[in-house]
Amino acid sequence: MSAELLFQQALNGLSFGALLFILAAGLSLVFGMMDVVNLAHGAFYMLGAYLALSVVQLTGSFWVAMLAAPLALGLLGLILEPLLLRRLRGRHLDQVLLTIGVSLIVVDQIGVVWGREVRSLAAPAGLDGSVALFGGDYPVYRLFVIGLGIALAAVVTLVYRRTALGMHIRAGVEDAQMLGALGVDIDRLFALTFAAGAALAGLAGVVAAPVFGLQPGMDVDALLYSLVVVVVGGLGTLGGAVVGSVLIGPADTFGKVLFQEFALAVIFAIVALVLLLRPTGLLGRIRIAR
Amino acid sequence: MAGFGKNELAARRGYSYRLTRRQFLIASSAAALAACGPAAVAPTASGSPSASPGKTLKIGQLLPFTGVYAELGNSMRRATELYLKLNDNKLANRPVQLIYEDDANVTATGIQKTQKFIDQDQVDVMMGVVPTPLAYGIRNAVHAAKMIFIDTNAGGNFLTRDVPNCTPACKSPYIFRASFSSYQISYPIGDYLSAKGTKDFFLAYANYGFGTESAADFTTGIKKNGGSVTGNVAPPLGNADFAPFVTQIKNQPTKNVYSFFSGADAIGFIKTWNQLGLTAAGYKLYGAGFLTEQDVLKEVKDLANGIVTSLFWAVELDNAENKKFVADYQKQYPLLPDVFAVQQYDGMRALDEALKKLGGDTSDKDKFSKALEDVSFKSPRGDFAFDKTTHNPIQDIYIREVKTQGGQTVNTISDKVAKVTDPGK
Amino acid sequence: MRRVFIWPAAAIGAAALVTFPYWTAEWESSRFATTVLRDILVFAIFALSLDLLVGRAGMPSLGHAAFFGAGAYAAGVATQRLGTDQLPLTLGAAALVAAALALLIGTLVVRSEGIFFLMLTLAFAQIVFAIAFQWTSVTGGSNGLAGIARPFLGGIDLNPPDRMYVLVSATFLAVVLLVRAVAGSPYGRVLVGIRENERRMRALGYDTARIRLSAFVLAGSIAGIAGALSAYSLRFVSAQDVGIGTSIRAFVMVLVGGAGTLAGPVIGAAVVLYVERILSSAVPVAETVLGLLFVAFVLLARRGIVGIGGAAWARMRR
Repeated sequence: MSAELLFQQALNGLSFGALLFILAAGLSLVFGMMDVVNLAHGAFYMLGAYLALSVVQLTGSFWVAMLAAPLALGLLGLILEPLLLRRLRGRHLDQVLLTIGVSLIVVDQIGVVWGREVRSLAAPAGLDGSVALFGGDYPVYRLFVIGLGIALAAVVTLVYRRTALGMHIRAGVEDAQMLGALGVDIDRLFALTFAAGAALAGLAGVVAAPVFGLQPGMDVDALLYSLVVVVVGGLGTLGGAVVGSVLIGPADTFGKVLFQEFALAVIFAIVALVLLLRPTGLLGRIRIAR
Repeated sequence: MAGFGKNELAARRGYSYRLTRRQFLIASSAAALAACGPAAVAPTASGSPSASPGKTLKIGQLLPFTGVYAELGNSMRRATELYLKLNDNKLANRPVQLIYEDDANVTATGIQKTQKFIDQDQVDVMMGVVPTPLAYGIRNAVHAAKMIFIDTNAGGNFLTRDVPNCTPACKSPYIFRASFSSYQISYPIGDYLSAKGTKDFFLAYANYGFGTESAADFTTGIKKNGGSVTGNVAPPLGNADFAPFVTQIKNQPTKNVYSFFSGADAIGFIKTWNQLGLTAAGYKLYGAGFLTEQDVLKEVKDLANGIVTSLFWAVELDNAENKKFVADYQKQYPLLPDVFAVQQYDGMRALDEALKKLGGDTSDKDKFSKALEDVSFKSPRGDFAFDKTTHNPIQDIYIREVKTQGGQTVNTISDKVAKVTDPGK
Repeated sequence: MRRVFIWPAAAIGAAALVTFPYWTAEWESSRFATTVLRDILVFAIFALSLDLLVGRAGMPSLGHAAFFGAGAYAAGVATQRLGTDQLPLTLGAAALVAAALALLIGTLVVRSEGIFFLMLTLAFAQIVFAIAFQWTSVTGGSNGLAGIARPFLGGIDLNPPDRMYVLVSATFLAVVLLVRAVAGSPYGRVLVGIRENERRMRALGYDTARIRLSAFVLAGSIAGIAGALSAYSLRFVSAQDVGIGTSIRAFVMVLVGGAGTLAGPVIGAAVVLYVERILSSAVPVAETVLGLLFVAFVLLARRGIVGIGGAAWARMRR
């Protein structure tokens, strides 16, 4: 591989990783805080993308969609958590079944409302060109995605470490029951967390749409990738989501090109390897089974 | 995820609250069965043979309405209903009853629905099937049941060939194909391009049966005239991010790229090809027709301009039948037809012509087969006839180029390879 | 007093199940109903094997289809490429191949817990899927293995659908008895103990990792047998049989019916397949219906605790 090729593939890997981070952050947050593996995460991502389609059709603006879709998904999360998940605290298998059910409903209804054709979304004007970089022209949008990923990580870190909400979340990740005993409204916190997770999934849907497109089945791929990132990086920690995506993004990119015959298996081989060497993920700490 | 909480307490005390869940399940299943029972458990019409003229003709349509190929299934349904609408819902004076089943791109489901058509609905003829694995999977069941099956998409070569051990599949007197064999859309363009002097290609194809078959047939075509393949990239089927692969293409010297992608993969590939500026860098893209079919063009639009592909049809094809077909389709649905609609439409027409020859009598399946073998008509794709040995269509393969004209991006015909048959072996 | 009625009732039920195609021969839809029931029973075997892990041993495996598919491929390859056509051989090969794969994967995953176990099993199953999808010379690649011939049992040809059904239903009953025996045995109780509190079991001297592995291999081999039956029934195997979709469906069948019970996975298989295969013919939004079903079950169980709990507590106090 020449130096230019390496550089370009590295950019491809990083932009893919940035998308993975935006996608996985929500899942990581929900799992870390509420101990819930939200298997509807992929469905939320898909819904965010399709909502963006409609918003762009209506308003002509990608940026409005980037605001509207996460808001809508956040609202959905805010409704679903108290309605469905709250009763299932501690009942892990039931949570799995519930989120699978929600996922099936959401995905099928997306097909009913928007149709089941393959769709695409254009990058917003201004970001749809290319810049000359070492090795050739590189699409601006993918650079934007890298920037957005870094910005998001920064914002989330800020909220996490410098705000009261962030403090509550960090405490909740450690020991939710204790936090409740200390007088924090756990129900409200959990609802907000779930809503934030859904909103992040929706945001990922919008941002990824110009790169990945929209089609039936996109929810499963998104869910798989986000599970991989979250588990490899270490559950429930923001740092874990960052490390996971920075590892998986480039690894998937290079792996697909170098091991063409087993492209399908590359990231799973990485998951297996990481978990065998570090059983709780790269940044995860040992957790007593809850 | 250890620990079930309350469930554990329950189990230790000798009961399980799951009992209520099970009771609910049993009750709701019984209710659902009762509600849909008559429809589901009993055949959808009287079980007596409906083969006689004048009686309703039952056609089983196995199409994907959910899953990644849903768009194709819907397009094919539209074409079916258009044909029937234009023919007073009758074929050879027999009123038609369509029974649609969704295979959801799960082969086991499709196999089971085929059994349903054979055992339960006892259809007179079966049509449809989008994915090749499903066509291969049902080949033996259809053959054993002497069910006339008109494949209106699945293009796997083996379905209409002599194959040792019939593995994975082989031809059958009862199986006809109104679409194409993957050879027909890959070999001729290879032969054509290399004969005209474009000999060396880099390949980019989706890494599954159809893609590898197309790449292999194309390679045979160019090798015939001394051409060669200098390398390839093969993204997995359903790949999300094409950038790594297109970057590889950009960093190798062969400018002519033959590709096989369809649907979502084609859209992703073409968009990425553009984003990474391959055309500007002097790379030229060729492909099997599905790369630039209407389902793709409606999304990528002028990004596809200049791509050269081969297919047995194009919206712009200038013949009376096609002009009428496109006009009728657009009048009925506010959409341009795609090749999948044409495949299904021609399948219906072939069925209609055969039934006319039989006087509507579908009871003798061998006669039915013979009648289908003898059909010949003008279809939107040109002259249509089945090859009597293979039951694959004998058709002209057009060399097309994507152009944007009159605000629409379409495939325009630049040349053709006449009367291509599948080798059958 | 109840026990007196259970065994004769069960025997009659079992006999009725196995002879289903014969006493329904007069029904118009007998053949179709037989194939539907056959497919339900194949998946019921698969779901029962997964329940050994999920329900009893507390090992939530999301990659169980790897063994189902491995068994299916083994049966298919044995019949097609190696020319073996005797049932004990092909079925045995399927169980063996699945067990070997389970041993290989199990050794690596068995020390994980919870979501890490889930991800590891998923990851390995996806690797198996990738191999199945690409290894065209053995597995038929993306086209799969079609035209698999049904085996013989001695001189009996199992090709006719009613005989195939009898094989499947008989195997199903055998598996039910096996799982019941395992669940009730000391081994079964040790599994539950490991699920409840692994540390304590280790303190008591049990080699928990090895016991977990044995459960994994046992579950894997039974799944392999289900896979072989699927290959014979459909006369087809493809990579989809080892795919994540199949693993999730089995997982869902176990949960819907009730993990940790005998009837649960069976009922779950019946419900899921009913919606997928039969309801989908009548209703275009079958997936939504399935999703609503799951949500309803999960939420309704709550009332169950109050209702049944009260009655059972009262019964215990007597």
